[in-house]
Amino acid sequence: MIGFLEIRRRKLQFALVGLIVTLISFLVLMINGLGVGLNEQAGRALRNFDADAIAYSDRAGLSVIRSELSAETVERIGEESGARESAPLGYMAVNYRRDDGRVKSAAVLGFDPGSIGEPPVRAGRALTADDVNGLLADRQFLRASGLKVGDTVRLSVRLQEREFTIVGELNEGAFFFQPSVYMLRSTWREMKYGMVTENTPSASIVLLKGEGLAGKRGTGWEAVSKSTAFANIEGVAGQQSTVQALRVFGYLIGGLVVGVFFYVLTLQKTPQIGVLKAVGASTGFIFRQLLVQALLVALGGVVIAVPLAWLTNEAIKQAPDPVPIAFTTGTFVTTSVLLLLMAVVGVLFSGRQVAKVDPIIALGQQQ
Amino acid sequence: MGIRLTVRDLDKVYGEGERAVHAVRGVSFATEPGEFVAIVGPSGSGKTTMLAMIGGLLTPTRGTIDVNGRDIAQLRGKALAEYRRTKVGFVFQANNLLPYLTARENLLVMARINRSDMKAARARADQLLEELGLTARRDALATELSGGERQRVAIARALMNDPELVLVDEPTASLDSARGKQVVQSLIAEVKGRDKLGLMVTHDMAMAELADRVLEMHDGQLVGQAVAARG
Ligand SMILES: Nc1ncnc2c1ncn2[C@@H]1O[C@H](COP(=O)(O)OP(=O)(O)O)[C@@H](O)[C@H]1O
Ligand SMILES: [Mg+2]
Repeated sequence: MIGFLEIRRRKLQFALVGLIVTLISFLVLMINGLGVGLNEQAGRALRNFDADAIAYSDRAGLSVIRSELSAETVERIGEESGARESAPLGYMAVNYRRDDGRVKSAAVLGFDPGSIGEPPVRAGRALTADDVNGLLADRQFLRASGLKVGDTVRLSVRLQEREFTIVGELNEGAFFFQPSVYMLRSTWREMKYGMVTENTPSASIVLLKGEGLAGKRGTGWEAVSKSTAFANIEGVAGQQSTVQALRVFGYLIGGLVVGVFFYVLTLQKTPQIGVLKAVGASTGFIFRQLLVQALLVALGGVVIAVPLAWLTNEAIKQAPDPVPIAFTTGTFVTTSVLLLLMAVVGVLFSGRQVAKVDPIIALGQQQ
Repeated sequence: MGIRLTVRDLDKVYGEGERAVHAVRGVSFATEPGEFVAIVGPSGSGKTTMLAMIGGLLTPTRGTIDVNGRDIAQLRGKALAEYRRTKVGFVFQANNLLPYLTARENLLVMARINRSDMKAARARADQLLEELGLTARRDALATELSGGERQRVAIARALMNDPELVLVDEPTASLDSARGKQVVQSLIAEVKGRDKLGLMVTHDMAMAELADRVLEMHDGQLVGQAVAARG
């Protein structure tokens, strides 16, 4: 009650710190959104694979780009791993030209229809075994390219260029920071390697389903869990640790600002705290007032920052090449809760100060 | 009911060694329920120090302060805060209101601290403000009140939780004498009417004369009570 009244009577001070907390909350929310967004860009499609583990060439260092598996190895992986189901998958990066003339890149995944490598089609139709020029395109690809199901698109890799018809729409997400498209593995093999002989690699990786597959290895291959595979995507680790560091700094600064503000306020109010103690208020009672104030300030900041961040993201999304920010309810909830928590932690420092105040100072003339 | 205070051999030494100040030396006295006692003496004679010890704001160096059979000198921390909250109403020399609260809110804070029923508290606050002639100023911020008004709010605040001990440190400093006398008379009425105990430090002899008894302090001692054992 006193805490609340004080906010009302000292509106300016509390509004200012509230503003700063709002800005920090906004920043932290955007950073968190960026973290989620970048993560999705890095490989939501990989996370969406219908697999428990992924097998790579043991010379690839868990890099999808460098992993190449012969038909023989693919077969051996299926047998040696003891997986219930397995499916070879080919990967390559391709370019295409947008209507505005700009060359953009996409991730191609080559799969076998009917295997666990086949993605679920959301609109249009699936690829059949003889759809050699058919393409399934992810929503993000359609948005970025301005194409739709039924359109044709020319994909190029090195000197190869080939025209495809988009027959189906997917919602698998990006792969390797690029919008993804799926084609038949046979087509992928032709495009990637040109002349196909029996020595031509037949897949990049093999999806595996079954128990206890992560960590298995055999002649020429090793398998890891999907999350390990994700963490090993080039750039993901560095990116996520950068985002993580920014996030931690955001929370720390948020806590620090609230902490310092209330600490200064507490020092400033020492005489009044002395009086409250002199008339019998416990340290706990006085501290609870501070706590209520800190929570109100932090809550105010978060309540303004959440819709602000959401609106900002909506605006950013309108851009042709949007910054990858993704908000989930979880982002909002955890960020808000953590910021409130940091406000509480910040105010704890003032608790000591409150405890130290001697009620005798209420007597005034003594020192 | 009624409160009985017995102070025995009370001593307070501030600081240590060279800089030690022996502010109260071997003070003893006892009171009856419903008594209103004035304490007079020159500045620096230890009046505030003694009042603060009785009010649970300061721990005595030696001696006992018996309030209805309990030695306040032994209380610490939470127990002491509870004693201050439930038994004592203190009017400080520098009236010390919370500046960002109104007159009325300054009284209601006491009820909050004491977790009293707020409806009853509001009625009590309004009644006290009325008795002290502050009804018109009840919604003014403490900073907007005159010195005298603030002093009266401080007195009302001290009475808010219906304390058994009313301790007042030079209340009339910022009151004109007519108003001061009126305020002291209402304090006395409060003490007498409910068998409380009033201790009031004052340098105003006209005020002291309103009390049942006057204790005079000099150099930390009650006059006529020099400590025999002092070497
Ligand atoms: N906190 C303190 N530290 C050291 N000396 C003090 C303190 N408070 C009071 N004194 C000293 O104790 C003596 C008594 O002070 P006080 O009780 O305030 O007297 P009075 O209220 O009668 O003016 C004075 O000499 C004063 O300087
Ligand atoms: Mg004094």
